[in-house]
Amino acid sequence: MIISSAKPFEEILKLLKDEDDIFIIGCNACAAKLHVGGEPEVTMMQQRLEVNGKNVVGWVIPSAACSVASFDSLVEKNPAIREAKAILVMACGSGVSIIAGVTDIPVYPSNNTESLGGRSQGEVIPRLCAMCGDCTVYYFGGICPKGQCPKQLLNGPCGGSMEGKCEVDTDKDCVWDRICSRLEKMGRQDLMEKVWLAEEIEGQILCRN
Amino acid sequence: MSRTFKDKLRSKDFLITAEICPPKGTELGEALADAKLIRGFADALNVTDNQRAVMRMSPLAMSKTLLDEGHEVIMQLTCRDRNRLALQSDLLGAYAMGIRNVCVMTGDHTTKGDHPRAKPVYDLDSVQLLGMIKRMKEGYDLAGNKTGHLPDLVVGAVTNTDPLKAGQMMKMRKKVKAGVDFMQTQAVYDITQFEAFMEYADDIDVPVIAGLIPLRSANMALFMNNNIPGIHVPDETIYRMEKAEKPIEEGICICAEAIRELKKMCRGIHIMPVGNHVNTIDILEMAGTGKRNK
Repeated sequence: MIISSAKPFEEILKLLKDEDDIFIIGCNACAAKLHVGGEPEVTMMQQRLEVNGKNVVGWVIPSAACSVASFDSLVEKNPAIREAKAILVMACGSGVSIIAGVTDIPVYPSNNTESLGGRSQGEVIPRLCAMCGDCTVYYFGGICPKGQCPKQLLNGPCGGSMEGKCEVDTDKDCVWDRICSRLEKMGRQDLMEKVWLAEEIEGQILCRN
Repeated sequence: MSRTFKDKLRSKDFLITAEICPPKGTELGEALADAKLIRGFADALNVTDNQRAVMRMSPLAMSKTLLDEGHEVIMQLTCRDRNRLALQSDLLGAYAMGIRNVCVMTGDHTTKGDHPRAKPVYDLDSVQLLGMIKRMKEGYDLAGNKTGHLPDLVVGAVTNTDPLKAGQMMKMRKKVKAGVDFMQTQAVYDITQFEAFMEYADDIDVPVIAGLIPLRSANMALFMNNNIPGIHVPDETIYRMEKAEKPIEEGICICAEAIRELKKMCRGIHIMPVGNHVNTIDILEMAGTGKRNK
């Protein structure tokens, strides 16, 4: 899940200062789950914009803003978009970018995109994965240090943690403490011993010119 | 010709290293004067690299200046501020200018220093940096291009000394595996814990140099216990500092006593005073290690 949060409404009003006839596009995927781009948020946004003197020509909530195929597919869902002079997208940065790619109407974001994370047992958990393109999370008991350690350390903890808390964010447990206890619970402490060298050495890239 | 730090590492000498902090500015006078205070007493001077993520003069420039003044230096190099290109170019530059000892570490996070908005790099971690240096010593850069050997480069790393911290100990072993010539430790106050660490690390054939920060007050000890990771000042030491009429002198005594104990356990000590080295020689002489080097 892409973790995004709503910009303050004042900032959105500022963005739309010179715009009118606004069309709102929500997103029924991550943004809806995070309550920053589903139907309740989109209709609330419409009302707040109208209260502040903006004309909202309509809205639509595609199943995922990041998979909108064409402008026509949006017209099919709500032809009012043809009258729009500005589009407000209530989705992550990918959704905003995809929609900006299918129209020349100016597109504005209502959200700030933070990380690749998740939601479990009612709790939003940001920064779970660094999207490095080379997944090795199984070596770390399912807790990725590239995504979750502020120093992205692959070979073990830095010297900066105090009482098991992270040097950077003392409210959080040290990621490497969590990895160590998880692997211990799994009986796989052997995985901790793997030495991670630089990719160039790991991959034995040696051109010897 | 006088013996190098490398020669001394290979000998049975009890080694003394000391920390020199580059200036926040371009005036080198104070740092050079500090180094001069301990000339002939320290076997090598560690030059810190934007220590605690506070921006200062480059350790490369400071190291070269100390070298020109006739000091042997250990240039510290962190992973925080440089990607793998910058790490390699600084290492080549340092070697070309005559710097023969480096000590590598991850580095405190930028958010802890005086430029908290700075982008933290950590392109490599300290174990990966050691692996890269090993390859450079063999004459290749990380991409496999020939760069010429760095045969005399002496490479150190740092470690905490609590043998019960499994993650820290595992990482220390990885550093040894990646290739180190010496280890310098976080400041040691708890001699019993350090002894347990040395027993734990008994199978590791790398000289260990124990870190020391002379205490200046009981408050300093309390502050370090609460704020500096990996440091544990025992209660009885804090009590001694509290009771002392002259706390700085008491701190000197405690440090000298620690050296006498550590001398039996490890290969050397590394003195990192707060401020300058004005008391360092007193400490060394009181500990019976104040003899001048030839």
